[in-house]
Amino acid sequence: MDIRFSGVSKIFYPDITALEDVYLEIPKGEFVYLVGPTGSGKTTLLRCITREVAPTRGQITVGSFSLRKISRVDLSVFRRDIGIIFQDFCLLPHLNVFENVAFVLEVLGAPSREVKERTGEILDQVNLWRRRFLYPPQLSGGEQQRVAVARAIVNSPSVLLADEPTGNLDLHTAEEIMQLIVSINALGTTVIMATHNQYLVDAYRQRVVGIKAGRVVRDEKRGRYNLDGEL
Amino acid sequence: MGSFKYALRDGTRLILRHWGLAFLTVLTSMAVFYIIGASVLLVLNTRHIVNVLEGELSIQAYLAPNASYEEAAQLVAKIDHVTKVMIITQDMAMERLKARIPDWADVLTLLGDNPLPSSLEVWVDRADSVESVVMGLTAITQIKDIVYAGSLAEKLAKFSRFAGHFSLAMLVVAITASAVVLFNTIRIAVYSKEEEIGIMLMVGATPAFVAMPFVLQGVILGGAGSLGASVLLTFSYNGIIARLRELMPFLPFLERSSVVLHLGLILVGAGATVSLIASLVAVETFTRRAMKPL
Repeated sequence: MDIRFSGVSKIFYPDITALEDVYLEIPKGEFVYLVGPTGSGKTTLLRCITREVAPTRGQITVGSFSLRKISRVDLSVFRRDIGIIFQDFCLLPHLNVFENVAFVLEVLGAPSREVKERTGEILDQVNLWRRRFLYPPQLSGGEQQRVAVARAIVNSPSVLLADEPTGNLDLHTAEEIMQLIVSINALGTTVIMATHNQYLVDAYRQRVVGIKAGRVVRDEKRGRYNLDGEL
Repeated sequence: MGSFKYALRDGTRLILRHWGLAFLTVLTSMAVFYIIGASVLLVLNTRHIVNVLEGELSIQAYLAPNASYEEAAQLVAKIDHVTKVMIITQDMAMERLKARIPDWADVLTLLGDNPLPSSLEVWVDRADSVESVVMGLTAITQIKDIVYAGSLAEKLAKFSRFAGHFSLAMLVVAITASAVVLFNTIRIAVYSKEEEIGIMLMVGATPAFVAMPFVLQGVILGGAGSLGASVLLTFSYNGIIARLRELMPFLPFLERSSVVLHLGLILVGAGATVSLIASLVAVETFTRRAMKPL
């Protein structure tokens, strides 16, 4: 799915500008890093794509969906094609690893056999099959994030949004997660990843969109994290 | 099918997770539906008693000398609420008196000429129509005198009306109370799963799918409460009626079997419906807010 931001601004009450006049086009299958200081608007931009945040001005289209006016039913249908990885994992503590991942397919109404097969495949892919009966508090940070990645991709979404997916992880684990995300992108999934991790951005060179005070200040095809000490 | 299995599993989990609250909700719902059922039975019994007594209510209209029975009867039949007019001749009146006091039948023959007057016996449709029919009868010149159980009819009608209004008020209060309790129980369950619901909505679950386990939970709790109330009502009704029959043997109370069974089914249906609506409102309010963008 192509993603297009046309003159998008978001002002939170009373006068906090989170995004200002953002124009951005992300073609299907692209990998984009969103970089910028804390509070620059990266998370707001991602949340605009999931329509947790509605722009004050401007238009966002994702594939055939115009997000300005979308019904609740259409929003549910739209969100089924978006995978989300949160910095703090957002796993359900009372469900085990298998149930946390299978949960997505269940809520989408998949038949139980498909839920079992698909969940098994994904847990194998993220190397967590042997830990499927453990609960989130029994896992390490890296393992919890791998569960979050598995949950985000189990329904094969067209777009994967990752908000600081390596923020709480050591470098080695961060690289593991990164390799997983890159492999998902290689299968044709559009990936938008907000990150502060300079090492990963520079090691896995992709398109870099720099955001500062809600504005897009740079957009490079194969960029680096820092350019002349700015971002 | 998968969705229903999910809803059933999750609905059961919700009940078990908040079992104390679930128990209290069932208990409250049971008490509320028992009150509803009891007040409905009170109204049904009152109406039944009034109907039976109304069937026995008649107005005696005594005719003036030389008045035509047929003409008077035709005029009376035209009055609103009159269901039947019967001409009671002097002979018929004497026969009735003899039948009523059979031990004194021989003594009555000593009276010589029959002293009893001819009359019209007038039946009305309802107890509270008696007054208006009497007004109509006084306007007929052929009628000399009117005798009726005025105060009894009036009291019966008043009590019947009061019982109806009381029952309706009880119904409104009880159903509102039940709906509020169920609404709050479901709302607590919804808030306990706030995070989970948020993730469900983010991954594309429809609001209807999110609502299913909660609605199921509500229907199970409301249904169980009203079912319990129906069972309790069935068992207690017999005892209460038996006691009332001892105290007031002259009043015709309703028999248990069919009335209480039908009422029980209605109560279970009402319980399930009220809880369905209360749960839907509770979840819908939450999901609408959760899906509203910032």
